[in-house]
Amino acid sequence: MGSLNQLLYTARDALTAQSYGLSVTGQNITNVNTPGYVKRDPLLETRALGTATTGTVTAVGLRRATDVYIERRELTARGSASAASEHDKQLASVEALFNDLGATGMGSALDGLFSSFSALAANPNDPTARGAVLGAADAFASRANAIGDSLSDAKNELFKAAQDTTAQINEKANSIAQLNRRIMAAEAQGEDAADLKDQRNNLLLGLSTLVDVRTIPDDNGSLIVQASGATLVEGQDARALSVDLATDGSLKIISGKGGGTEVTQFLTGGTLAGIKEARDVDLFNVSDKLDKLVFDVGNAVNAQHAAGFGTDGTTGRNLFDVPAVTLGAARGIRLSSAVSGNPAAIAAASTATSLPGGSGNAVALADIFNTPLSGGRTAAETYGDIVGDIGQRKAAVAQAVDTQNAIKEQVQAMRESVSGVSLDEEMVSLTKYQRAYEAAGRVLTTVDELLQDLINRVGR
Amino acid sequence: MRVTEGMRYSQVLSNLASITSQHAEASQQASTGIRVGKPSDDPIAAAELARLRASSSQTSAHLSTIDVVRGDAELTESTLSDASDIFVRLKEIALQAANGNLNAEERRTMGVEVSGMKDALLTLGNARGTRGYLFAGSQVTTPAFDQNGVFQGDDVAQVVPIGNSTPTAVSTSGQDAFVVAGGRDVFADLESLATALASNDETAIRGAIDAVDASHAQLVNARARSGLILSKLDASQSVLSSLDTQQQKRAQEAGAADPFESYTRVTALGQTLDRAIAVSRQLLDTGSGNRF
Repeated sequence: MGSLNQLLYTARDALTAQSYGLSVTGQNITNVNTPGYVKRDPLLETRALGTATTGTVTAVGLRRATDVYIERRELTARGSASAASEHDKQLASVEALFNDLGATGMGSALDGLFSSFSALAANPNDPTARGAVLGAADAFASRANAIGDSLSDAKNELFKAAQDTTAQINEKANSIAQLNRRIMAAEAQGEDAADLKDQRNNLLLGLSTLVDVRTIPDDNGSLIVQASGATLVEGQDARALSVDLATDGSLKIISGKGGGTEVTQFLTGGTLAGIKEARDVDLFNVSDKLDKLVFDVGNAVNAQHAAGFGTDGTTGRNLFDVPAVTLGAARGIRLSSAVSGNPAAIAAASTATSLPGGSGNAVALADIFNTPLSGGRTAAETYGDIVGDIGQRKAAVAQAVDTQNAIKEQVQAMRESVSGVSLDEEMVSLTKYQRAYEAAGRVLTTVDELLQDLINRVGR
Repeated sequence: MRVTEGMRYSQVLSNLASITSQHAEASQQASTGIRVGKPSDDPIAAAELARLRASSSQTSAHLSTIDVVRGDAELTESTLSDASDIFVRLKEIALQAANGNLNAEERRTMGVEVSGMKDALLTLGNARGTRGYLFAGSQVTTPAFDQNGVFQGDDVAQVVPIGNSTPTAVSTSGQDAFVVAGGRDVFADLESLATALASNDETAIRGAIDAVDASHAQLVNARARSGLILSKLDASQSVLSSLDTQQQKRAQEAGAADPFESYTRVTALGQTLDRAIAVSRQLLDTGSGNRF
């Protein structure tokens, strides 16, 4: 049977334990809006007092309310949402380059070129009409150059953005490795590492927006972090991720230093994946199509123009300087120096004898507009296809953004449901520990009264 | 399901953001009347609009070409009309001169008048339009006929693209109208009459009547051909104008927002937004924070 002194100890322990409960509740309430904070539950256990069968209570620590499965799903969901969002952002810039609906595309320049040939046919000997052809051809080449340059700049900028992203990934990986070390040390000494784990969790959430992340918990409290299929952090060591250009100009993701291992094919999420998808798939695809259109139009116009005669009687002159290969044609096409500033060089006549009023070649030039190019489609149809293709890509990615964000929000809600702070619960906990604390105080008072009573009786 | 404060706030934010975004999009459509403002709004419609814009641009170019060449075609027709009128007058003179009651002096006077008409005919043959000499073929900078009525141009017709499958010729051959081989040389026929009148050669005058008739018929035929060109231009213009209207209508259908639908949508979404704000306020007001 316990003595009064034991009862005093019991009351003392109860006060300490309930006070701990109040402290943890207060911590939860304090951090109700702290990003990444995981709700704590105080862990109270009974403790035997000596050999007595009646025990007291002790606070053995706290439990972070987490669900590893949901946390992993959140990392994946955030990675996918971030990849879609970055992809969408980059495609919006590409879409703007081809938005004839907003007067920024090259459709009007293409139309203007062929309209100028029509106008030339109506008045082949008119210097103004000839000058208009030169102006329209220059506008077409300049517009193609501007869009081609913008696409090329976007590729370079996205390469830099990928480099910046890997730098951020490495910075976070180093921080996670350091936290792993501190958590391992804390847990080895039996200390509470909840705050450190919250910090690590926050870093992981941030990392998951940059690259696809998978975590494997280790027994010593550390986490093995894998990114793009490669180990990024193991224990207190972090391996650098880097990005370079492959021989075909696409992005190459490398894990480790000194040559490292290429892990590009395993990249599935995060900003880095969005950048790679936008750059290596969409930008390359759109650039190729634009180059082909400009190359085909430029060469078709050149072939016809060279067959005609300028009012100076010269034939065989190209209207454009077109690069020898398709790649880079949009950036490289120029108004030919053979005709630049020389309206007389515009070949409206199809024969030397029909100079200066022959319009046969001007008509043939205008007719290129209705003639299928190498892809079996006319220039206008091909351009419409490019616009439609970009629209499809952007719309599909915008749809993916909505879907991935919905999944992310759903998983975040699941995590919040497990790990978030509910003020309802904390209010109940607050009352619970307060009442228990008051009751323990009452036990203490009762024991005190009993002891006083005992002392008074014995001392009489 | 355990509901936390964070979930409440996230839900409120997410719902309001979604409805606000939809409302903003609907408001923009309703206020601008444009449904497809960028390719991703409706990729199929955007591609169709790009092609329609190109077709419409081509149609406009053809209509513009017709406007430009119509002036010269009308001038050609009226010039040939004036030329044929000259031959009507020549025939009147020839018939009058063939009357045996006229004396040599009267016929010489008539011959002077006919010689003057040759200058007028040359002036008509060398008429200029916007692109140069009308009847010189492609030699638009060279007069079609020299002082003797010798043709200096060529038979190359001016062709323009006006939406037909083959380029349309819009000029009239000066050679065919005035000096066609195997036909009449109208200047020579006029000259013959003038010579016959000057020499008071009654037989030659009678003989010239048929030649004048044939020249007149040749000019009338040429005028008819130029009239056909004008008719062709009119027909093409009519077809192209109709096509232009159709293209604009299709573009409107493909890219414009339905005013009733967009207004209804913006109204409905406005009401939804109001409800969402009210519910959000209620949700946040009933949060546990207020119970402490």
